[in-house]
Amino acid sequence: MNSKPKIPFSPITINWTLTFRCNFLCRHCYSRPEKAEELETGQVKEIMRKVAEYKVPFINFGGGEPLLRKDLFELTSYATGLGYNVSMNTNGFLMDADAARKAKESGFKTVGISIDSTDPETHDTFRNVKGSHKRATDAAKYLRDEGVRLTISSVICRINHHEFDALVQQAKDLGAEQISLHNFKCTGLGMTNKDELDLDPKEWLDFYMKAIELRSKETGIRISLDDPITASIHKSPEKAIVKGSTCGKLSLNIRANGDVTPCGFIPVVIGNLLKDDLKDLWDNSDVLGKMRNKEPKEKCKTCKHYEECLGGCTARAYAMTGDFNSPDPHCWVKKG
Amino acid sequence: MHKIFRNPDVVWREEEEAREEVINAMGRGEDAGSEGTVLLIVSGTMHQLNILGGEIWKLIDGSRTEEAVVGELLLMFDVDRETLAGDVHAFLDDLKSRGWISYEQ
Repeated sequence: MNSKPKIPFSPITINWTLTFRCNFLCRHCYSRPEKAEELETGQVKEIMRKVAEYKVPFINFGGGEPLLRKDLFELTSYATGLGYNVSMNTNGFLMDADAARKAKESGFKTVGISIDSTDPETHDTFRNVKGSHKRATDAAKYLRDEGVRLTISSVICRINHHEFDALVQQAKDLGAEQISLHNFKCTGLGMTNKDELDLDPKEWLDFYMKAIELRSKETGIRISLDDPITASIHKSPEKAIVKGSTCGKLSLNIRANGDVTPCGFIPVVIGNLLKDDLKDLWDNSDVLGKMRNKEPKEKCKTCKHYEECLGGCTARAYAMTGDFNSPDPHCWVKKG
Repeated sequence: MHKIFRNPDVVWREEEEAREEVINAMGRGEDAGSEGTVLLIVSGTMHQLNILGGEIWKLIDGSRTEEAVVGELLLMFDVDRETLAGDVHAFLDDLKSRGWISYEQ
């Protein structure tokens, strides 16, 4: 009783950058150059109430570092009370035993900790904070002790693409239910440090071939590889709800001041939820319309995988060319 | 017969606009049986249920047995009881094998 893909009537997930402030200076970070006024507690709650009218089931807090918001747990309790399933991504530095207990009590369904290497020194250098690997692994233990579901997030790039299997093992050892191997994006500092950190298309192909094989065998942890360009080498056993990038089709991003963008890596503002209606933006935004109705360009025009990948990651294409329709710069498929 | 419960870890949402479209299409005699009307999100993976699967999913809230679900669906769908009961049973078997539902002990 499965069915044909269609855009849901409202987002499934809101990725919410509560603050651009951060205690880290990671070399790949999309948001370090960003600055914005932060919504007050009451304004965040007001937006939560408005968005809840459209039955959005998931909110994922990010940043910046969400634990720098002193009202984080109050906001989470409020969101949980409205029926949301709340998660967050954190660097873990401030997640001590007390914070882990509050995370549990406030209703976090899952918490994601960013760890980019099994080697503490490599992680600390990448994140620019000494001791950050230790604090991140301690955070994972505190959360596990409280019974909070744990996800480990690793941004695959030059420093770790050869050790992703060790990253998976590390996540298992920490008690994580899932490891998300995020693809590197050239936004913010990711663009500044692109030449140093990004892989070339052949290296991305090698990584995904091996990671997909490991995922097919691994039973102790879920391995998430959320990248539409894998459509050319792997067909999921489950029919995808939407094809190509999910941004603007299943999810939206809210910035610290309430501005809405299709995703955190596409800095194109389509409205602000203090004054705009979520459903109106979702149904009528020209930007979202363009992302949902991409036209193949250049090598995508003759590519037999286009109907499945729809040009790959729209954010990467936009970052490199300013055009949603350009081929994903990570794509390894040669012109057909 | 045992009452059927949805697994609370399965997050789900009815796609109200899609359901209305499907019902209107069925009213016009069109085949809309493959359109999704309920979304399930399980461990980060999304699944869609068509109109029959979606209506079954909504009914299995812990208050009904399989027989009662069939009885409710017969009021909605123009189909004979035997065929419907077979479809419902197969669907529930699939949900149970995935761990998405349980039966009252």
